[in-house]
Amino acid sequence: MANEAEETVRKLAMHKGVAGVIVVNGEGIPIKTTLENHVSVQYAGLMSSLVDKAKAVVRDLDPTNDLTFLRIRSKKSEVMVAPDKDFILIVVQNPVE
Amino acid sequence: MSDEPEIKPTCNDSIPSHVSSKSDDDADQKDATNKSRGNLAEDDALDWLKPRTLIKPDDQEEVPEADLEEEVGRILTTINPQWVADEVAYHYGKGKFMVKPKPTYGKAYPLYVHQGTAIRKDSDEAKAQIAAGYGMVSFDDAGPKRVKVKKTKTEEEEEEEPEQEPVATEEAKGDEDQVQEEEKAAAPDEAPEEKPAEAAAEEPKAEEEAVAAEEGQEAEEKEAGQDDQMLQDEYLDIKPRVKKLANQFNFCERAALTYTYPRRSVETQTIPPPRANFGATALQCIIFDYYQEDYARKMKEKEEEKPKRLRKKKTKHVKSEQQIHDERLAQRIREAWAILERLVNQNIYDDIAQDYRYWDDPSDEFREGMGSLLPLWKFQFDPVRSHAVCDVQWNPHYQDLFAVAYGSLDFTLQQKVGCLCLYSIKNPAYPEYAVITESPVICLDVYKEIPYLICVGLYDGNVCVYNAQLSLESSYQYKSNSVRDKHSNIVWEIRWGPRLIDGEPSFFSISGDGRVVQWAVMPGELQATTIITLTSNVPPIPGPDGTMLTVNSCGSCICFHPERTEIFMVGTEDGMIHTCSLKYNRNYVRSIQGHHMPVYRIHYNNYNNSIYASCSGDWRVKIWEDGRDEPLFMFELGSPVGDVKWAPYSSTVFAACTADGKVYVYDLNVDKYRPICVQAVVSKKTKKLSRVDFNSKLPVIVCGDTKGTCHVLKLSPNLRVMCKPPKKAQGIDQRTLQIMKLDKLLSLVRDPPFQTGVVDEKFEDD
Repeated sequence: MANEAEETVRKLAMHKGVAGVIVVNGEGIPIKTTLENHVSVQYAGLMSSLVDKAKAVVRDLDPTNDLTFLRIRSKKSEVMVAPDKDFILIVVQNPVE
Repeated sequence: MSDEPEIKPTCNDSIPSHVSSKSDDDADQKDATNKSRGNLAEDDALDWLKPRTLIKPDDQEEVPEADLEEEVGRILTTINPQWVADEVAYHYGKGKFMVKPKPTYGKAYPLYVHQGTAIRKDSDEAKAQIAAGYGMVSFDDAGPKRVKVKKTKTEEEEEEEPEQEPVATEEAKGDEDQVQEEEKAAAPDEAPEEKPAEAAAEEPKAEEEAVAAEEGQEAEEKEAGQDDQMLQDEYLDIKPRVKKLANQFNFCERAALTYTYPRRSVETQTIPPPRANFGATALQCIIFDYYQEDYARKMKEKEEEKPKRLRKKKTKHVKSEQQIHDERLAQRIREAWAILERLVNQNIYDDIAQDYRYWDDPSDEFREGMGSLLPLWKFQFDPVRSHAVCDVQWNPHYQDLFAVAYGSLDFTLQQKVGCLCLYSIKNPAYPEYAVITESPVICLDVYKEIPYLICVGLYDGNVCVYNAQLSLESSYQYKSNSVRDKHSNIVWEIRWGPRLIDGEPSFFSISGDGRVVQWAVMPGELQATTIITLTSNVPPIPGPDGTMLTVNSCGSCICFHPERTEIFMVGTEDGMIHTCSLKYNRNYVRSIQGHHMPVYRIHYNNYNNSIYASCSGDWRVKIWEDGRDEPLFMFELGSPVGDVKWAPYSSTVFAACTADGKVYVYDLNVDKYRPICVQAVVSKKTKKLSRVDFNSKLPVIVCGDTKGTCHVLKLSPNLRVMCKPPKKAQGIDQRTLQIMKLDKLLSLVRDPPFQTGVVDEKFEDD
């Protein structure tokens, strides 16, 4: 399992344009990252609250519905978030030139 | 009564007076109380000084203290000790002892007799009372008392009477005789006076006389006194009395003051219950979640209430909560990663994805009958970069998934391991499933019924079945026994067959050792059955020790008839194409010399079951019709042809790939002699194309090269021209049109006209 996760993170990080991969645990603490530590912490903290908010939006509109993924496209990069109640996976990708 | 002064000394003077006034019949008592009252009146002031003494009547008998203390036991028994069975008494009249009459109540001994106070209404007494006014006073308390007083008197008289009466009458008789005789003389003057008196008091008179005989004068006086008293009583009774007494009994009031306890208050303080502040956001979804949780819990409780025997079976397989949670979490993480990876890939390969979906070569409009292939993704897997793609096949169920067998076609520099990969066009970077095999993988086939079961043939002659649903660690699900029944040469092609009678899936493999083996997928093992051994025309060769060895021809490909599952064709390395049947394992149904070099692929047309294509290392692709020894079409491609496949969308389109890195697409309907598209996919210096496969739904093909790369190419519009229905029959579906198209084409090329179904005839002959 640990090996598999390691492998997946490595695999994903090798993709073209991927700036960083962050694995955040249920408490919003980054447990695995390819970015610098302070950036990871910032991402983890901000994304946790954003995911909570987004989840609340989706769930409040329809309680049987649930948030599965979150993509945030920005001018410089795209942040892809896979939220779960036990973890959050964050991938930051820069657009391919 | 006598106790009273002791209890309430304050009421000392009033009570005795009260008592005395009430009890008028007890003269002695009255005297005594009067006396004590007088004493008390004198010493009233000093009363509290005196020691309290009991006031006794003067004539009370002195009883020693010891006698008072003595306890007199009383025993009540059911037997009367005084009972005398036959009691006799002396009868004075008869002058003898007589048996006393026994009381009617037998042995019962009356301990207490209480006389009632009721009197008969019509008795004289009652009449007298009524006359006196008593009768008017109903339930007067005083009444009965008075009556009792009177009655006791009368009773006393009555009680005495029966005992003395007989005697008295006897005596009286005797006396009367005398009296009568004596008085007879004086009777006339005395009789009127005496008679009322005698009638009134006959008995007293008799008594008087009897007593007078014994006691004389003294008794007479006493009797007179008694009479007086009786008269007095009578007088009192008769006196009318209306006044009622409130209470027939004497009574007194008693009061007691209880001890009043002093008041006091006791307080205690309990520890206040622990408090905590709780705050939460109540969102609709949170409430919903709690309801779901509650519902789940209730369901669980209900489940637990069920009898144990029902639950037992389930508990065996139940894993611990933690395990389940871990597994689910792992699965969720895996899914999340997979999707993230796809998102990333979508960003990277966005342009390709757009092309794949929407871009059609616009130049096709201007070049009639020519098309092109648009290269889309390239699939590579780093661990097998040096391997050759030995087989490639689209998944029959998932249109975006294809399986790739990594082996090696360079037999002088053979790879040690192989790899089986499943790629999705959604993720060109990494295979969805990859498993390293012990030996290079030469061929594979995906089971149509269960699209995650893949059988592979290996370089070392083994066959395996892989389950793509299982995780990578578990590797193959089935593998042939390496010692007993594996092939002794490379397994060149492998194909799933129909299910066996018992329902087990089975597949067929053809190998360089000249055998076609059917493998039944039994639980836990593969069971091999040799279907046919390919013989060659070569005469037996003498072996080193002189024995004659028969040489089998080497099978290189196998192809099953799309409809008749027992018919299959086998291509050999010496270029023969044998039509075989599962029912005849000795000889071939048909045999033709198709090529001069190893046959790499035989593929049936998707629309016409009697048409098939074959390709070979002799650079040629041939289109055959069943039962015809000569091919219908023959194409020379200038390089060994690795693969040929009919298009699923058209009856006349097929694609072939050659060792010089080109893909040829033919449409027989468009051009019977030349390909409509020739495109170099890989550089011919370094790479060769080995295999090609059409996607069953999408207009793409995949071809594999010898350097471990799979190329997905999009067919331009000219390569996938669909049939236009004729104006007369617009409603015909595409499949019928395709069949018609092929038939029309065949009728042109058939020379001489030929009857199809030779295979059937051959069987009928047998």
